[in-house]
Amino acid sequence: MVREVVSEGDSTSQSASAASSVAIDASGLSHAFGDVVVLDDLSLTVEPGEIVALVGPNGSGKTTLLQFLSKVRAPNAGTVTVGAGDRTRVGYLPQRPEFREGFTVADTLRFYTQFVEEGVDIGTTLDRVGLSEAADRRVEALSGGMTRLLGLGRALVGDPDVVVLDEPASGLDPGMVERLFEIVAELADEGTAVVLSSHNLGPVERTADRVVVLDGGRFVATGSPQELVESAGATDLQTAFGALVSTEEVDGR
Amino acid sequence: MSAAEDLTSAVDDLFTIATRELRTVVRTPAVVALAVVFALTVVGVAAAGSGARGGYVPLVLDLLPFVEALVPLLGFALCYRTVLSDRRSGELDVLQTFGVSRPAYVGGVFLGRSLALVAVVFGSLLVAGATVPVLSPEKPTFLALNAAADSPAAFARFAVLAVVFALSTASVALAVSAAARTARQAIALAVGLLVAFVVGVDAAAVAGLATGRFGIDTVPHLLALSPNGAFRSLVFGVAVETGQATTPLVALVGLGGWLAGALFVAVVTAWKPVE
Repeated sequence: MVREVVSEGDSTSQSASAASSVAIDASGLSHAFGDVVVLDDLSLTVEPGEIVALVGPNGSGKTTLLQFLSKVRAPNAGTVTVGAGDRTRVGYLPQRPEFREGFTVADTLRFYTQFVEEGVDIGTTLDRVGLSEAADRRVEALSGGMTRLLGLGRALVGDPDVVVLDEPASGLDPGMVERLFEIVAELADEGTAVVLSSHNLGPVERTADRVVVLDGGRFVATGSPQELVESAGATDLQTAFGALVSTEEVDGR
Repeated sequence: MSAAEDLTSAVDDLFTIATRELRTVVRTPAVVALAVVFALTVVGVAAAGSGARGGYVPLVLDLLPFVEALVPLLGFALCYRTVLSDRRSGELDVLQTFGVSRPAYVGGVFLGRSLALVAVVFGSLLVAGATVPVLSPEKPTFLALNAAADSPAAFARFAVLAVVFALSTASVALAVSAAARTARQAIALAVGLLVAFVVGVDAAAVAGLATGRFGIDTVPHLLALSPNGAFRSLVFGVAVETGQATTPLVALVGLGGWLAGALFVAVVTAWKPVE
């Protein structure tokens, strides 16, 4: 069965009791750029160890929503609570990660480790994202996919309890896509809450605990991959996705 | 976490960012080239002009217009795109997720870039000043000379004022980079302010005097409106001690005001904090 997303009224009462046990509690999120409504009264909770995949056509508001969940931007209306308090760090991979030129991969990661209190083994992080052999390479010499992996490594610095990844698989070859979703699964096994957006619906179907379909600024469906496929009478998530969204409504959000 | 621990953490963040900024500057060929041009110009004016042969104060007067024009250029080149570039690359978003505060970020960028700027400005002026004892002719022993009128101290005061001037232009450039949302805006703001600083305020003062709109007493206040005018007033009032009637306090407040005010603008406009 497809779970409809909780309404604004429901979420308020739920969030009060569940706030201490959820990794992300977003309630009543609305946002507009000028006259264009990007997000319309969205609520979402994510539990520790859960993988939530946000899917939707281009311009559906995924990046904006992920920025709100990462607390790097504030919505016009609504609240986002991450972890037990304001100091919970969100590991964030932007849609197009860029790094300061002239520094090596290892130097770049070392810079960010200085902002977290616990000691970070850069070698372990690089190994995890598959960049060990590129540690001494300058960031401007990395391919697009490797730059994204470095962005993932940066997001994982300090072992955050919540990780938000905006199109992490974009630009990666099929083998690296599989490896990336393995990393995501490992993070969830360790108790990390992961929210990601992706157009790679095959790996999403195999990995995500919950898929949230965003279209026209609203959640049009949410549930486990299997629930979505069955509710749409489809054979796989890709087909179900086509039935759930109107992909022609791309307006640049 | 206590307030003291918060402050310690913010200071640590500031130095972390400052270190990266400094490392970035020395790896940016265009900025290094501009610094070399500045150093060569200053030392070249000292070596080729007549000022160094006349003593420290004549050298100050020789260098003043070059320093007035080139220091803002150097300060703007170092800082006018820093925050903007970090915003466009998503770096500001990422730093927020690491809990870096706006004052720590802006302070770190300013400290790192300023260290490079101060090293270039002060170092170049020191080398220029060192040419005076080499190039000055032997002083005749049959004349009684007043050493207080021309001493290395006067030149040292000039060099220190040039550093403060450089810091104020860097902070204004940083404010430009934080307030601008596009590269085009940043360039337009930077060029506009540079022109206003180098010629605009002076021209306005002259025009005001010529038309009788301003009295002669208002000149020090008018000059203090731009970092260049304030710097020039301070040089004449403090470094070479021309004995002008008005105190250089207005100019000092003007220069300090630009520095502090611009840093405040940079902090406020760097990003909108999320509650």
